[in-house]
Amino acid sequence: MTAEIYPSLAQCAIVAAALKVLLFPAYKSTDFEVHRNWLAITNSLPLWEWYYEKSSEWTLDYPPFFAYFEWVMSQVAKLVDPAMLKVYNPEYDSWQTVYFQRSTVIITELLLVYALQMFVDSSHGASKRAAQAAAISILLSPGLFIIDHIHFQYNGAMYGILIASLVLARKRDTLLWSGLLFAALLCMKHIYLYLAPAYFVFLLRAYCLSPKSIFRIQFVNCVKLGAGIAAIFGAAFGPFALKGQIPQIISRLFPFSRGLCHAYWAPNVWAMYSFVDRVLIILAPRLGLSVKEDALHSVTRGLVGDTSFAVLPDITPRMCFALTLFFQTVPLLKLFAQSTPTWDNFIGAVTLCGYASFLFGWHVHEKAILLVIIPFSLIALKDRRYLGAFRPLAVAGHVSLFPLLFTPAEFPLKTVYTVFWLILFLVAFDRLAPASSRARFFLFDRFSTLYITVSIPLIVYCSLVHAAVFGKRYEFLPLMFTSSYSAIGVFGSWVGFMVVYFTS
Amino acid sequence: MAKPSPSAHKPRRKVKQAANAPSSLRNVGPVETMSRAPAFPLAALLWPARGTVSQWELLPLILMAVGLFRWAAGLWGYSGFEKPPIFGDYEAQRHWMEITTQLPISQWYFHDLQWWGLDYPPLTAYHSWLCGKIGSLIDPSWFALFSSRGSHDPTLKIFMRATVIVSEYLVYIPAVVVFVRRFSRLNGVANWSAAVALVAILMQPATILIDHVHFQYNTVMLGFVIASMSSILAGRNLWAAVFFVAALGFKQMALYYAFSVFAYLLGSCVFPRINLPRLIAIAGVTVVAFAILILPIVIGTLLDVHRGIDSRPDIDGPRPPLPLFQGLADYLDTEAFYYPVVEQLVQMVHRIFPFARGLFEDKVANFWCALNVIVKIKKYPAELLQRGALVATLISIIPPNLVLFFRPRKDLLPLAFAATAWGFFLFSYQVHEKSVLLPLMPMTLLLASSHGLNKTTRAWVGFANILGCWTMFPLLQRVDLAVPYAVLTLLWAYLLGLPPTSLAVYFQEGSTSWTQWATLFIHGSFYLVMAFWHVLVKSVRPPPDKPDLWVVANVGVGAAGFSLCYLWCLGRLFLQGEILPRSWFAKKDKAKTQ
Repeated sequence: MTAEIYPSLAQCAIVAAALKVLLFPAYKSTDFEVHRNWLAITNSLPLWEWYYEKSSEWTLDYPPFFAYFEWVMSQVAKLVDPAMLKVYNPEYDSWQTVYFQRSTVIITELLLVYALQMFVDSSHGASKRAAQAAAISILLSPGLFIIDHIHFQYNGAMYGILIASLVLARKRDTLLWSGLLFAALLCMKHIYLYLAPAYFVFLLRAYCLSPKSIFRIQFVNCVKLGAGIAAIFGAAFGPFALKGQIPQIISRLFPFSRGLCHAYWAPNVWAMYSFVDRVLIILAPRLGLSVKEDALHSVTRGLVGDTSFAVLPDITPRMCFALTLFFQTVPLLKLFAQSTPTWDNFIGAVTLCGYASFLFGWHVHEKAILLVIIPFSLIALKDRRYLGAFRPLAVAGHVSLFPLLFTPAEFPLKTVYTVFWLILFLVAFDRLAPASSRARFFLFDRFSTLYITVSIPLIVYCSLVHAAVFGKRYEFLPLMFTSSYSAIGVFGSWVGFMVVYFTS
Repeated sequence: MAKPSPSAHKPRRKVKQAANAPSSLRNVGPVETMSRAPAFPLAALLWPARGTVSQWELLPLILMAVGLFRWAAGLWGYSGFEKPPIFGDYEAQRHWMEITTQLPISQWYFHDLQWWGLDYPPLTAYHSWLCGKIGSLIDPSWFALFSSRGSHDPTLKIFMRATVIVSEYLVYIPAVVVFVRRFSRLNGVANWSAAVALVAILMQPATILIDHVHFQYNTVMLGFVIASMSSILAGRNLWAAVFFVAALGFKQMALYYAFSVFAYLLGSCVFPRINLPRLIAIAGVTVVAFAILILPIVIGTLLDVHRGIDSRPDIDGPRPPLPLFQGLADYLDTEAFYYPVVEQLVQMVHRIFPFARGLFEDKVANFWCALNVIVKIKKYPAELLQRGALVATLISIIPPNLVLFFRPRKDLLPLAFAATAWGFFLFSYQVHEKSVLLPLMPMTLLLASSHGLNKTTRAWVGFANILGCWTMFPLLQRVDLAVPYAVLTLLWAYLLGLPPTSLAVYFQEGSTSWTQWATLFIHGSFYLVMAFWHVLVKSVRPPPDKPDLWVVANVGVGAAGFSLCYLWCLGRLFLQGEILPRSWFAKKDKAKTQ
């Protein structure tokens, strides 16, 4: 029997929970009101009206399981403060409401703690210590800290389900449950559709087809999986399908009217594209390029929802979709080609699906970076090459979340917490990751060290120097720098990880 | 704080060997590093940092982590938030920034005394001036004369919180870090155990609750006191005197420790042989430090007189007599150039030491307030009470200071400071409930001593701290700070493995001695009473004719518990100071140092 590894997840969770409770009075975004409104809708309206209610701007736009989840919570909310359950009560935030909603985030995060414990328990031998460190890094993730406990959302619980599902995929006899759990997760939050291709290919290859040949189908498994998924989707969407509300739900879940870049620039390829476009506006007269005058206005603001480009060609949703799908397919081919895909490769494929959709997707929110960071954390300590690709992602991904919080009181929290996390885990990971059996490839470590160093002046400039020098003018500049810098990091780490994935 | 222990990499820096203990009594080598499993959660959190992680990697992480808790706690309300007409401590501090930046220096101690008149020593005034100047650069309306009173601008709150945290990181935290380093070396405690003790000291809930939540700058004063103690550890007695003058100059409350500083410094000039030059140097440096402290006020007053600025523009007629030392005016020429300076200094002393107030102001967990429950002592003449308080205080503080005088040993400092401060807190005149921070500080520093993290010390230090926070609950509850109170206190109890989260500190592996059973019984009953009291306050209204019943109960229990803490510190001091023949305590001692 191996000795207990300290600190345990529970110990870290308790200390972190104390800090999170202290954050109750912190800044909360409109997402707080969004979720309060959903509590109100699910509690006070009949099921059939949930997806039609639109008296508030924050309509229900998550799949039904999440709505059920809100309904369950609203049963407790009733006892705490019934006023928060009124639909026509916008911006209601009595202290009971704040305490209640904030504590539901902390309590539901126990799912994540449980899933991470599953992950640690599923690792054996020398890698157990590394697994524990990775698990704690996810538990204390600055992403979850900023998004869930200050900004307000329920990502902790959602990622808990995702990790549980990923861990279940580690053993052959729980593969079915992994798939079903993921299907349930999709019915809670559809952002995980980005990862679905990896699940599809993996379950197809490892569960539905015989390891010996792709032409031998394991019919029993197919039926089990198919029936299970059908049952889950039936439970989620069935009641609404009976009333023919599916088109309405779809229109709520997938609002295609939104622009390419989200309000802030998520650090993806399109951020770099806009950056180049902006530089070209300045260079256009010299290069003899034509500038679209009507686009100039929106581009210089930098904060608008739908970005149109002044020099470079515009991007359509179709192009985004094609690029995303292409870059998802490439790693999936390798997964499919293996006779028995390994778990590490599966997690790698999930991570790469996350990368592709984050980097090339339409209207990507910067919060979606967790789709990449969290699965990647599970394998980042496999060896030093994995860690080399992980490091710039960890820096870029978390720094790119900073613009989410812009109030002065939260500034020290987000920066100090993130810097604390980065120092602690980058140092710890560095000591834990074993050397790779393969030779180091190109100068990736040098790049990542340089990259991480640049983050320090960047953060200082964006948070202090810019406001001191320019005041409120050129507000887009720090956002653009942060976003372009982060985009380079995420993109670089993606390239690096692609190489690692295909060479291991 | 998961820093897994390294396998592949060797650290560049060699871990320095802990300095040998000066006394042959102490067992070198902490218990915790030897054992296979951490004894309490804080040790577990720092477990991976054992052995090879250098302090310079660990220290920034520790400082960031404790800073996060401080800042997060600061998001909650402060004393007097939206509580007109006069608000609270927050308004007092803000108001001082207002008057020091807006008024000539000679008016500081005279300006509108009804509205939070300045009643702290000059260093606080200078500190307020500096903070006020910086704040005025950001937003001049925060400290505009009169119009800014009672401001609760949320950005101002952030600025004020930042001044507390920055002042603490400039004074208290470096002082604690250096003190823990020196004190643990002195006691032969390993670096890792010292780091655990450091986190425990910095997470002490009472200071966070009072300074960062309720709002004050106590840590600056406490920091100077710790700097003074740590200078003593380093053998720099003159610096010790300077730092202590700074502490006194920041907050007169530092007088609680004055006797101990005096006893130690005097003792070090007498034992082992009389060292007259040292005594003269210490006295000289102290006088010079005081002179420098009041110099800006003296020069400022003279300049103001020269420029024709009146220190009391509100008074038209003849100048009122001095508030204290009225006889002085007979000997001095009231028209002389120095008279305004005398008047200024007398006024300052008058403001700082309000002898005119009662024995105790509010409900405080000290002896007098507890006694008042049984005997209505407020009916006795104030003079008698003052004299009684003086005698009782002296009786309680003479023993620890005699020990320190006859045994001026560095390792006895925290115990002697703690015992003296407990004596002052329990018996002196004009005590405020927040003053419990003063005895708690040196007592908590014991965690860095030899065997400081063992069960007995942890049990008592923890008991004192948790009881201390509990007695401040009524104060915090008044401004709806029950949540940060509960979170920070329970977190600290959890980290150190104390009740109500764990009873492990009361049981040794193997056999449990009778002293531990006794400790368990005493502490256990206090903890039960505290928990029961919280339930009571939450669920039952006090009878209408006794609206303060719960607070009075709190005070009584608190005073009893603090008396035990005083006795424990005193007992430990006697044992460690080897005042009494060892054979008397052989059995007890064995149990305690286990």
